[in-house]
Amino acid sequence: MSEQGGAAIRPQDTPERFLRNAAPSPKAEAAAAKITMETLNFYYGTNRALKDVSLSLPERQVTGMIGPSGCGKSTLLRVLNRMYDLYPGQRATGEVLMDGENIIAPDIDVNRLRSKIGMVFQKPTPFPMSIYDNISFGVKLHERLAKSAMDERVEWSLTRAALWSEVKDRLRTNALGLSGGQQQRLCIARSIAVRPEVILLDEPTSALDPISTLKVEELIDELKQDFTLAIVTHNMQQAARVADQVAFFYLGEMVEVGPAAQIFTAPRQRRTQEYITGRFG
Amino acid sequence: MSDSPTHMIKSYEQELKRLRNLLTEMGGIVENQVALAAQAVVEKDADAAIRAVEEDPRADALEREAEQFVIRLLALRQPVANDLRQIVAALKMTGDLERIGDYAANIAKRSIVLAEFSLPYSLTGLAHMFRMVQENLKLVIDAVGDNDPDKAAQVWRSDDVVDEIYTALFRELVTYMMEDPRNITPCTHLLFIAKNLERIGDHATNIAETVHYAATGESLPGQRPKGNTSAYAVIRPSNP
Amino acid sequence: MRARRRRITNIAALSLGTAATAVGLLFLVWILLTTLINGFAALSPRLLTEMTPPPGSEGGLLNAIFGSTLLIVIAVAMGAPIGILAGTHLAEYGGKSAVAETIRFVNDILLSAPSIVMGLFVYEIVVRPAGHFSGWAGAIALAFILLPVVVRTTDETIRLVPITLREAALALGAPQWRVIVQILYPAARTGMITGLLLGVARISGETAPLLFTALNNQYWTANPAQPMANIPVVIFQFALSPYDAWHHLAWAGALLLTVFVLVVSVGARFLLRARID
Repeated sequence: MSEQGGAAIRPQDTPERFLRNAAPSPKAEAAAAKITMETLNFYYGTNRALKDVSLSLPERQVTGMIGPSGCGKSTLLRVLNRMYDLYPGQRATGEVLMDGENIIAPDIDVNRLRSKIGMVFQKPTPFPMSIYDNISFGVKLHERLAKSAMDERVEWSLTRAALWSEVKDRLRTNALGLSGGQQQRLCIARSIAVRPEVILLDEPTSALDPISTLKVEELIDELKQDFTLAIVTHNMQQAARVADQVAFFYLGEMVEVGPAAQIFTAPRQRRTQEYITGRFG
Repeated sequence: MSDSPTHMIKSYEQELKRLRNLLTEMGGIVENQVALAAQAVVEKDADAAIRAVEEDPRADALEREAEQFVIRLLALRQPVANDLRQIVAALKMTGDLERIGDYAANIAKRSIVLAEFSLPYSLTGLAHMFRMVQENLKLVIDAVGDNDPDKAAQVWRSDDVVDEIYTALFRELVTYMMEDPRNITPCTHLLFIAKNLERIGDHATNIAETVHYAATGESLPGQRPKGNTSAYAVIRPSNP
Repeated sequence: MRARRRRITNIAALSLGTAATAVGLLFLVWILLTTLINGFAALSPRLLTEMTPPPGSEGGLLNAIFGSTLLIVIAVAMGAPIGILAGTHLAEYGGKSAVAETIRFVNDILLSAPSIVMGLFVYEIVVRPAGHFSGWAGAIALAFILLPVVVRTTDETIRLVPITLREAALALGAPQWRVIVQILYPAARTGMITGLLLGVARISGETAPLLFTALNNQYWTANPAQPMANIPVVIFQFALSPYDAWHHLAWAGALLLTVFVLVVSVGARFLLRARID
């Protein structure tokens, strides 16, 4: 007959291995849209650079825009903060709604808009002044802060940009003395300091070395807790690492948009698949 | 493993941790299934058998979840070096674990039929085999959780003992069947149970090989020790 | 064969270049040495304490030095702000438009216009109606010569500031004027100052326009409404005279002027290099 005990390990002796420390699953919930673009068209003179683009940027998420050179992704970004106003002959038609307002309408206060939608450029552009003044420049444009409040704001932005510990002892030195990666983080701190709601990033790491790139990517991951971000990148792998939602552009049209996991594992459009797998420029 | 610095991107680090947790959770479920199956056979415990079968869908669901997660990680994180090995290893291991769960459920189902027979011979050998397999399984799941190649190598080496026991059991059961035709039904079930157990042992060894490669980048040497010579066993009746 | 021909051509060209440089340098050094030697002989503390003397007697150049300084200061005060603002407007609002290009073209013409023509022009519009020569007229003439220089350097240095810097400031919500004053001017500062210094170096030596406007004054005056003494015209007057004392003073004045221009030019270059570092 069967032997009792000692022969086989009983179930109640198996240790509890049911540890479920799972990190939250990838965001698939529908988040509210911070900015909605409807039938947006953009013209450089007579050349139509964006064709009937309709895209939403979900709040507190990163939207990545990918596509070959000249596909219109940078143009799109520059529509959002009305950067094209500088250049005669460039115009946008359609609607871009943020908090119910159409921000490409002519009667919008552009300076106020730009305090709500900040931009970080490809090439780090520190102003020719001290680190402290770089940060306070933007703040002073829109707010009157006492010195202690301004000090706090400077410290806050530099901390959020993961730069505080590196520069806290030399806030009054010229910003041009920083390294490339530090300068770019300074530019990010500068944008955050005015407390925008949206931050636009135009190929923010293409001029940086790999470690600085990683630091900025980690920064983007943290920033999305408080800000809505849109990033244009020609590096698809970066979009895969960083974005929650990815939009693929080609020749001025938005070909496909969807969650990053879906775009990079099972894109619906053939052109998206061809671009992502490197089967065409 | 825990000595290596964490990844600069915290969310990536969390995802790798989640994958590891999926594996250990699945390991826990499957270990439990095997224990329940052992109890069902050795102690004729029908409740244990039913619970062993009921656990199986959970293991299957975890395997599907792990597979989706691995594909997502590969697409979005572009892992390289040991990250890549770990992630691909996780995919293979969940497959092995899922099979172990299936075999345990199969054993449990057979034990219900087996319980109707009163056996004139002892199941000591089988109980011993259960214990060995369970020990190896526990050790390999520890190795998975700790990413420990040494534990993995230990499991890899001890599979031949399990195989030898199986070969001995095979001979024993065939002998019983030759003695008395009434033994054939229960002994056949027992044979299948033993075979499933041996397959569980093999899958545990697979997991051990995968763990070793993932941790060190080197495969364990080609030929694993094989003690299963039952394929060549010819048992002749003892009296003419 | 071809290699040898190439080498010969190379050596010939190199020799020609070196020879040309040597010739240029030779004359430059000769001029400097001559000025130095002759001027040095007349250097004494009296230079800075006494006025220009009547024919035959000894004296100094105090009134001329003061006059030149005053004329330059007034000219800069008049010409620089207008030049900077005009240059800024060209750079920021003109851009590459046809109107802006035309303005730049006209500016370049003014830049190389004969200074005597400037002097004559100012004579017509200021001296004749006033009925007498004056320091104001002289300063105005010098300002007209300074203006195109400042316009051009301001325009160019501001256009050199990368557009990304401008866009970065605008992206923060800065109005255009703040971008210009708080970002562009500091960024272009070195270039603009260099341009100004070079302009100053130029006008400090201009003689012809002053002949028609400030003329000269033997005595001390601090009133720009009167004719003012200035170094270039003094050199002109004294060098052509038969008096030795005046010759010495002329050489001394020439030395002073040369040293001044040298210091300003070298200073400008030094400033530029320091900023680039």
